Amino acid sequence: MSVATPTAPEAAPAPALRTALRHPAVRKLLLLAVLAAILVPIVNAKWASGSWPHALTVDASGPLGKASDWIIDNRDSHWLFLYFFGHISNAIVISVRAVYLVLLALGWAGVTAAATLVAWRVAGVRIAVTALVSFAVTGLLDMWVPGMQTLALMVVAVLASVVIGGLLGLAGGLSDRTFRMLRPVLDTMQVLPAFAYLLPVVMVFGIGVPSAVIATVIYAAPPMARLTALGLRGADKGVLEAVESLGATGRQRLLSARLPLARKELLLGLNQTIMMALSMAVIASMIGAAGLGDRVYQALSAVDVGAALAAGIPIVLLAIVMDRTTGAAGERMGAEPSGPKWLRSKAAWAGVAVVTAAVAVAGRLAGSQVWPASWTVAIAAPVNDAKNWMVDHLYSGVPVVGGTNDWAGHFTTWVLDPIRDGLQDAPWWGVLLVVAALAWLIGTWATALTSVLAMAAIGVLGLWQPSMDTLSQVLAALVVTLVVGFAVGIAAARSRRLEAVLRPVLDVFQTMPQFVYLIPVVALFSVGRAPGVAAAVIYALPAVIRITTQGIKQVDPSAMESARSLGATSGQQLRQVQLPLARPALLLAANQGVVLVLAVVTIAALVGSGALGYDVVTGLAKGDLATGLPAGVAIVCLGLMLDRVTQPTARRARKGA
Amino acid sequence: MTSTVPAPRAAADRPKGGPEGDGAPVFSVRNLWKVFGPKPERVPGGPLAELPADELRREAGCTVAVRDVSFDVRQGEVFVVMGLSGSGKSTLVRCLTRLIEPTSGEIAIDGEDVCGMDRGRLRDLRRHRAAMVFQHFGLLPHRTVLDNVAYGLEIQGVGKAERRAKAHEIVAKVGLAGLESRRPGQLSGGQQQRVGLARALASDPEVLLFDEPFSALDPLIRRDMQEEVVRLHRDEGRTMVFITHDLSEALRVGDRIALMRDGRVVQCGTPEEIVGSPADDYVRDFVRDVPREQVLTVRRAMRPVAKTDAKDGATLAPDTTVSDAIEAVARSGGPVRVVDEGRCVGVIDYECLLGVVAGLDRGEVAAA
Repeated sequence: MSVATPTAPEAAPAPALRTALRHPAVRKLLLLAVLAAILVPIVNAKWASGSWPHALTVDASGPLGKASDWIIDNRDSHWLFLYFFGHISNAIVISVRAVYLVLLALGWAGVTAAATLVAWRVAGVRIAVTALVSFAVTGLLDMWVPGMQTLALMVVAVLASVVIGGLLGLAGGLSDRTFRMLRPVLDTMQVLPAFAYLLPVVMVFGIGVPSAVIATVIYAAPPMARLTALGLRGADKGVLEAVESLGATGRQRLLSARLPLARKELLLGLNQTIMMALSMAVIASMIGAAGLGDRVYQALSAVDVGAALAAGIPIVLLAIVMDRTTGAAGERMGAEPSGPKWLRSKAAWAGVAVVTAAVAVAGRLAGSQVWPASWTVAIAAPVNDAKNWMVDHLYSGVPVVGGTNDWAGHFTTWVLDPIRDGLQDAPWWGVLLVVAALAWLIGTWATALTSVLAMAAIGVLGLWQPSMDTLSQVLAALVVTLVVGFAVGIAAARSRRLEAVLRPVLDVFQTMPQFVYLIPVVALFSVGRAPGVAAAVIYALPAVIRITTQGIKQVDPSAMESARSLGATSGQQLRQVQLPLARPALLLAANQGVVLVLAVVTIAALVGSGALGYDVVTGLAKGDLATGLPAGVAIVCLGLMLDRVTQPTARRARKGA
Repeated sequence: MTSTVPAPRAAADRPKGGPEGDGAPVFSVRNLWKVFGPKPERVPGGPLAELPADELRREAGCTVAVRDVSFDVRQGEVFVVMGLSGSGKSTLVRCLTRLIEPTSGEIAIDGEDVCGMDRGRLRDLRRHRAAMVFQHFGLLPHRTVLDNVAYGLEIQGVGKAERRAKAHEIVAKVGLAGLESRRPGQLSGGQQQRVGLARALASDPEVLLFDEPFSALDPLIRRDMQEEVVRLHRDEGRTMVFITHDLSEALRVGDRIALMRDGRVVQCGTPEEIVGSPADDYVRDFVRDVPREQVLTVRRAMRPVAKTDAKDGATLAPDTTVSDAIEAVARSGGPVRVVDEGRCVGVIDYECLLGVVAGLDRGEVAAA
């Protein structure tokens, strides 16, 4: 912590120290060092260093086991379940069933026609063709029934999310106090990995469709609520004043001005909600959602890449169709209506309904409710053959470069293992100190305190070791993601051609649910920690690249112009102008990267990455709450800590505006 | 800028019951205060009111936007409130319909207390009696021009066919015929403000309130819009309260002008009074660059009739501007009589006119 150079003349240290002290970062670190100097010896003397001391843990398994037993015993008798959860559960089962039956009644012809026509009406011809092709491919891959199961669950979950999120958003948009209470909760919920939501829901509702829908709603409603509230609050004050001056009642103002003015945000919220719902509906296969996700889950458990891919492709296609359709609706908003007039009119919706009905009836008369079995293509076997060929030829022993499996092994031995061992062997108070220092330097003392408390909670839960394991994977993945992401992002910002090539790729990658990323990495790297890290990197890269590129491109052009006019080289422009000015964007990229990486690293327990995710998976598989729930809480804590540590204060301030 | 200062509108332009008319006040404002900040009600009339602005902010965290303002807006006149930014004029006009709740004081419309109105009556006031035109238009971007104009009627619960017919009529009146199905985003600033004006006119209000309506427009379009307002006023004689920071605009459209500074009205009078007899140095400084001959009238410039004056020849009305009188005097080659309703009230000659142009009457007026 010495800031003055020892070789300096005697008078020098004092001013040097003073200038250094003027820097807030140095002051913070100094204070922290003083604090550590006092506390660490005491703590050390009392509990010894190394891993989290046993004396400081609380064994939650006993009470949790009891709670779980109580719930299982009382599920059929207690009034809370009979009259509250029971009704919710039944309502969900009935609605999902009803939607599924409607989809079946429409038949493949009707569903495909409806999807295509709606996409055409809302988003134009190109998206309509995409929808048509996507549904056809789903059928061709013999995934029609699971596809419809997922779709039915999605429809119910999205509707519920939109209603709940919309109402919460409305409350937050109209009342300042509600907004202040809601915002931190929603912000936090958005950074938590999907895995964390599964167990508490299962605890109450058991494994099954209701749990899957509820977990999906909990995961997917926050963006709707958040964007609704922000949209309502961001409305042009001048317009609202004008509306008020015309003598509008509160209701009129809401319906005729505030909601229409927030249409863009509402549609963006719908888009995000749908994407998150799809992502979660797939993961929720672990807690009893049938459908595409379940096929992927089963296939992954058996390391059957071919079957996983056959179910994964429809998921990706479904995601693309839904994202593009709702996204296009949002972009068209406010712009001048385009396209033929008959397509824009309200009557077009009636047309969509009529044509759909006609096609559905025709399909039924032709006698095919479910996709005809003869029209399917079995890709699982050829894919598995290809995979086996890869296993034989690419996994190891490739001259010079080695094989993919060798890479994974090397990565595990040379990168993951040392980081994990380092973290696990490091004194626990040291880890806390580093966390505190990082969080305080980037954020405020409040973020530092939250981060330290979150880490301490992990220790108290007795999950220090597996959490350090997860953390080591997150850190390794994060470093790779940031290095690659910043490099590619900077390159894309400087080359128009590269950006044009990257854009569609990133678009597709950003719409894919997390779960799907596990399929290719298993094919390439088999199972273990390395493929989990690889999946996390692939999942987080697009966001990091995109934010980096945008951040650098949005640097004030006049600053760049003046740098150029002073004769700065391209490298100087990058180092001295673009990177410093894009710093907030780079920090945001790191923040997003860490959140996304954690989400996938935990899910990667399904492909053998172990650690906290493994506890959740086994907890779910065995219905063992005592193992799963603390692990879920630890994931939440880890997520909180990682988000806070990387969250610059500037971002919070901007959000508050 | 100053060269564009227009003559105040000729008497013929002014509707009956104008500034000199005997119409009852439409708006009557007495001792109005608006204080922003915590516990604002302790400021008006108390010891805090005497503090300078920055000290008040430090002591009480309050800012006084409107300070003890009283005025009457008469039936059929254009009442201009003018001042620099931060002088409280926009707050003042919003207090009139309680878009901003006044801290203390009285506001009456046609003798009816505005501050005491309940929500229903207040809504009624905003719907039918006073409509406002805003600086940044405040149009609904997702609606067509026609639907924006009809919006006020929609809020009042007028049926669709009726309000659209009415909106069509008003759109044509403000010169936007043919643009009914455009969206505000596709219009120029001037056109957008015409929509704002049409929306205010659609509900046929007793008073039109303008909050710096043309400040966001280009100078040429601003002039067009000012003329539009003058024309509207000439045609309909509607009472208007007009907020502006632009002196030439105030002189162009105003029958009477209230000049505000730091929340206070420093002078209230006709353009001629403001320019001819500034109440204090601030106002004098404000109007210094105004071409006086275009604002002052011969009534102020003339001298009494002398025995030696001719009893015939050209005549002028007393509210002819000095610049017009210069032309008449130059043509006649000698003094011209000022005749009001057939009676000779004075004589105007080269000396009087030059005195106005040279500003010689200033000292004399200030002394008076």
